Amino acid sequence: MKKFLAGLSLGILLIGGFAFVQETNPVELSMDREPSILKAYSTTVQF
Amino acid sequence: MIEIGSFIKLQRTKQEMTLGELSEGIVSVSYLSKIENQKTQASPEIIQLLCNRLGIEVDNSQEEAIKETCKQWYSMLFEVNNKEEIIATYKKIQEMMDRNLSDSLMMFEIHKVRYYLILGEYDEALKKINELNEVSSTFDNLQQFYWYKFRGNYSTLKDSEYYQSMRMYKMAEEKINQIDVSEEEVADLNYIIAVTQSKLRNTLETIEYANKALNVFMKQYNFIRCAQCHNVLGISYRRIKLYDKAIKNFNLALHLGKLNKNRQLIQLTNQNLGYLYSSKGEPVEAIKYYKEIIFDTEVSLVERLASVSSLVREYYNIEDYEEAKKSIKYGLELIDQFNDIKPYKIFYYVIHTYNYLLSERFTDFENMVVKNFIPYLKKHKDYASIIIYAELIAKYYEQLYKYKDAAKYYKEANFAYEQITNI
Repeated sequence: MKKFLAGLSLGILLIGGFAFVQETNPVELSMDREPSILKAYSTTVQF
Repeated sequence: MIEIGSFIKLQRTKQEMTLGELSEGIVSVSYLSKIENQKTQASPEIIQLLCNRLGIEVDNSQEEAIKETCKQWYSMLFEVNNKEEIIATYKKIQEMMDRNLSDSLMMFEIHKVRYYLILGEYDEALKKINELNEVSSTFDNLQQFYWYKFRGNYSTLKDSEYYQSMRMYKMAEEKINQIDVSEEEVADLNYIIAVTQSKLRNTLETIEYANKALNVFMKQYNFIRCAQCHNVLGISYRRIKLYDKAIKNFNLALHLGKLNKNRQLIQLTNQNLGYLYSSKGEPVEAIKYYKEIIFDTEVSLVERLASVSSLVREYYNIEDYEEAKKSIKYGLELIDQFNDIKPYKIFYYVIHTYNYLLSERFTDFENMVVKNFIPYLKKHKDYASIIIYAELIAKYYEQLYKYKDAAKYYKEANFAYEQITNI
């Protein structure tokens, strides 16, 4: 199990190697949170 | 001046009357249709009769009061205001509109789209859009400006259809030179264009529009709006790996958020800073920022859930499975508190993905990722997440020697990557 999990996490960490042929930085995740387009005090609920 | 034909059509459809019901005994159906579509000018007597049947007085004695109240209400829809106040003023205006034929009616009707969006009543907003669509050909330039802007808002909020939003905002932008709107109004449009470009990952355009908006908000000392722009800029600079510039913008946003004691904005910035360090490959620093958010009850549930999702992934990536499990447990507790998780389904999927993996429920993991999660991400064109989770499932298949399946998902990830980089 541990080996499998380690393999998977390695996979994630190596996405850079897979996706970015010439770059070593980890890939972007869509976890940026843009502020709301509607109001000044809350944040968007979708991203 | 509101066109009387549009007004009659609007009131008739609002009251769910047919052309026949309204015209009966007054004019022919085809003549009424011509009046509504402004292909003819009816006599004042006919207008009076039609208005009587609709229960509306042709009276403009309250015009100034209506205009002034509408002005107040429109500004409420753009600034920080409580919903009760917005609803109360809406009702007050609606009562006046029902009794009078006002020049402000059409603009009021257009602003209802925004009103329903603020209240989260998306079905009502769509109903209003469809209703107004019937008379949209009569809109003047100013009305068109708001019409396009609010329709863009709708596409973003209801369907996350950012390309459609962008088309609408661009049409609104084209109207700016032909109308008299305040600098702040233009800045607001530039700001929402920046946010939408950011969603579409058009980084250079995002920076251009966010800076335009920021310049105006700075002049007006509108610190909250400035902080929002700094967040958008920070995200963009991170994406092009100008980390120092990104951090500088996020720190400015944090500073302004703290000055205004705005917890939502502070925690939004912490989330973005956390993610910046995550993508820089500094998980310890990332975790520090995420942990700031997750127990802060002053911020909305969805923001806390977003941070917990990030935290789970961060712990998983550094193989701290015990902490990952604790965060999953907390994430599941937060999910339970939602009345409707549908708009935030991505967090549900993220947390369950790791939950299934760590609790060795591999069949559940496979089923959910393949049948639900990846189709969901495709539907929402969330290419960055597709790269992550398609890669995750591909690795899983590889471990099971299912090379054909693995190849399929590596291809999916590659395709998603091409979408992001516009290769």
